[in-house]
Amino acid sequence: MKIGLEMHFQLPTKSKLFCSCSTEGADPNTQICPTCLGFPGSRPALNRKALEYGLMITKFLNCELNDRIWFSRKTYFYPDLPKNFQITMYESPLGEHGHYNLNGKRIGIWRVHIEEDPGRIKRVGKPGEEVSLIDYNRSGVPLVEIVSAPDMSSPAEARDFVAELLVELRHLVGLSASDEQVARCDANISVGEERVEVKNILGLKNLERALTYEVSRQTKMLAAGKVIVRETRAFDEERKVTMPARKKEMEEEYGYIGEPDLGEYNVGEFANSLVLPETPIKRAVRLQGQYGISAVTAKQIVITSWGLADLFEHLCEKIEPEKVVPKLLGPITSNWNAIEQRLDDNMRAQICRVIEDDINGTITDSEARRAIATIAEGGDHVAEDRTVVEDELVRSVNEFLDAHPGTVKDAKNNPKAANSVIGHVMKATQGKFQSKEIVEAVKKELEKRP
Amino acid sequence: VSGGMDEARLRAINDKYRIFNQLIDREMLEADDSSSFTFSAKDNLCTKEFQARAGSRILEGYRPPFDATPVRKLREAGGLLLGKTNMDEFGFGTFCTNSGFGIPLNPFDTGRACGGSSGGAAAAAALIDDHVALGVSTGGSISAPASFCGVYGLTPTYGRVSRYGLIDYGNSLDKVGLLSRSMADIKGLLPAISGADPKDPTSCTQPSLAISQRKIKRLALPKEAMANLSPEVESTFRGALDKLSGLGIEVDEVNMPSLRFAMPAYYILATTEASTNLARYCGMRFGVAERNVSQHFNDFFSGVRSECFGQEAKRRILLGTFCRMVGFRDKYYLKSLAVRQLITKEYRSVFADHDLIVTPTMPFVAPRFEEIAKMKPLEMYSADFLTIPPNLTGLPHLSVPCGYAPSMPVGMQFVAPHWDESSLISMGEEWESVFPLRTPEVAQ
Repeated sequence: MKIGLEMHFQLPTKSKLFCSCSTEGADPNTQICPTCLGFPGSRPALNRKALEYGLMITKFLNCELNDRIWFSRKTYFYPDLPKNFQITMYESPLGEHGHYNLNGKRIGIWRVHIEEDPGRIKRVGKPGEEVSLIDYNRSGVPLVEIVSAPDMSSPAEARDFVAELLVELRHLVGLSASDEQVARCDANISVGEERVEVKNILGLKNLERALTYEVSRQTKMLAAGKVIVRETRAFDEERKVTMPARKKEMEEEYGYIGEPDLGEYNVGEFANSLVLPETPIKRAVRLQGQYGISAVTAKQIVITSWGLADLFEHLCEKIEPEKVVPKLLGPITSNWNAIEQRLDDNMRAQICRVIEDDINGTITDSEARRAIATIAEGGDHVAEDRTVVEDELVRSVNEFLDAHPGTVKDAKNNPKAANSVIGHVMKATQGKFQSKEIVEAVKKELEKRP
Repeated sequence: VSGGMDEARLRAINDKYRIFNQLIDREMLEADDSSSFTFSAKDNLCTKEFQARAGSRILEGYRPPFDATPVRKLREAGGLLLGKTNMDEFGFGTFCTNSGFGIPLNPFDTGRACGGSSGGAAAAAALIDDHVALGVSTGGSISAPASFCGVYGLTPTYGRVSRYGLIDYGNSLDKVGLLSRSMADIKGLLPAISGADPKDPTSCTQPSLAISQRKIKRLALPKEAMANLSPEVESTFRGALDKLSGLGIEVDEVNMPSLRFAMPAYYILATTEASTNLARYCGMRFGVAERNVSQHFNDFFSGVRSECFGQEAKRRILLGTFCRMVGFRDKYYLKSLAVRQLITKEYRSVFADHDLIVTPTMPFVAPRFEEIAKMKPLEMYSADFLTIPPNLTGLPHLSVPCGYAPSMPVGMQFVAPHWDESSLISMGEEWESVFPLRTPEVAQ
């Protein structure tokens, strides 16, 4: 089975691809201007940030970059397309021949380019009286299109691929968090020889569903000796089936020509100047190798929070990684939201100290847990002076001894009688002290008494 | 009132020659006391106060919410906009007879055409005193009417003047320029409309415009330009060449064999771009409205387009769509792009040892309307064979009146290297100093 994807994600720029209208959603048809409405006399001007994001994604996907790029007009008539052509890239995408490493498997990337989004059509009204309304707020919002090779071999893998890519791109260029629902994919899938294209699948869940349906449909057809014809199908979200789509123009019939208003751009230097930050999945792979932790743990740390991974690496400078992990995924993750808000050098040092104390046995696990909770809420662990803490132990022991003179007497003759003192203090100090410390303190205080 | 403009006279001229499809209000004209000159805008240049229909019925009712950059700049330079001048629909024509809103009549003979597509602009320049007309050229739409109407017409280098607010014909070819009876106006106002405009990225790579007087010494005359001229144009043009010699200017005959490929390459590129530009006109969002919306959008779009586009617009949409379809795209569209490079190269080699290139502007004087009616499209397209090459290659050019045959003006065209409008202005001013320009009598 072969599955290839054509993915469209909105780039998180403030303004649209070719005009200064905001990309932020608002009431219908409020974020519009002559350019994104295609008014005669208006003209596009390229948003540099969108180009930058596009190039970053292209580099990230290990594509060969095109030094000279230009835009093209893809002409087709549709009411949501104000100019009746879409400005996209055709002969000169941002990059080609890239690849992505999906859990050790190489997924080919055929091309990456940027283009403008059309408006949105809404059908409203009672059945039989429906009308189409068009909202052009989306018209001109920048999209990146990523076309993969048919290298995925199951619907679940296709879903994993898109999900992972979204995690990476969110960190790389800041795609919005709702992209899992709005990621738009076209999928090519072949169980036998001939491929079928399923168009306009919205969101990850639907992607997996549409592909799963298509696998079983094609498998059944082949089993029944039927021939699969090359066709375009659409996914019906309600019924969770794919249906033959209206016959859309073949790719070549769009009559592509260059977009003369935008000219050509030499982007090589600009592309080279862009430095890619490390992305979550890549970081997880690095953490796994560098610190010898499991893949699952590494992913868990990074996906939980970028800052958590930072803290992990910080702690590993002083402490062995395998000892850090249980603390990190225990008391630290459970207080992570609070910690993340206040995390600074001081707090990092304090957390480090607590874990060291815990590992050295100078404090108990539960003390460490409580210390971290205190630190998370802005309390100061280091300021908690050990002598003051020890005074508390001595006081607690003496309080009991004062109240139970009989026990003191008994203990003089029978050391086992001290056990009741130890048990009491342990309870009273709520695990703040290790039993060894309590035993010693009790012994010492008893000796002081006549 | 600016420029001594008299509203009654303006209206009388317009009634007679059908220059404008929309004119300034009488009150506005008479209230004006701050403008230093008047100007007009070709109908495909957007202005806030008038509809911008580019000569097409399909844009009926479209009043742009913005001014085209060249219009804004002329206002800022102290100009008063008189109105929108008639033109061939979207610039598709050589004679200004494909207009949806009135066909302008030649200032020297109302039985003849003004030339196109900036026909109204050339007529305005010829007939209105102290007036400068904004014209637009894609394949010769400033030179042709300037020649037929006996005025100076400057088409700047592609990218010199912002196209923001220009209704597109062929975006890689369209250039906004000036027509006037006086070189001084052109010289004075070209800097005003030029310059980088972030709203048109293709205007942002230009070197700055520095106009300085310079003696033009050596011109090239391509042999290919002298074929297919009418006898009266040929003899008038030869007379003008003698006059140039008298100014101490040497004229060399040169060979430019690639020029003959300019016309087919131009029509392929221009119609290809036009067919995509005109896709947006479908009865939604702007222009013609109303109609039955309870039908499939394809039927709705086709209905509007069938009804509102003129014949020539339909012909060019079909031609352009054909040229970019699979199987033909490589053969026509991509090949034409290569031809454009080839011709540009040939021009460059000629400019290596010549200041400018000189040719007649049009192969004949302004034709009579009944002659035009008999012409086949290909004959009409062929009339542009001298104006197309510099337009295809984005070179600046200037058409100057160079004689009368016997009463109809004949034009002479100078072509300069990219961005060298200054040499054209030097040449034009020198020519103007020795050429007796005739001002048409306003017919009663």
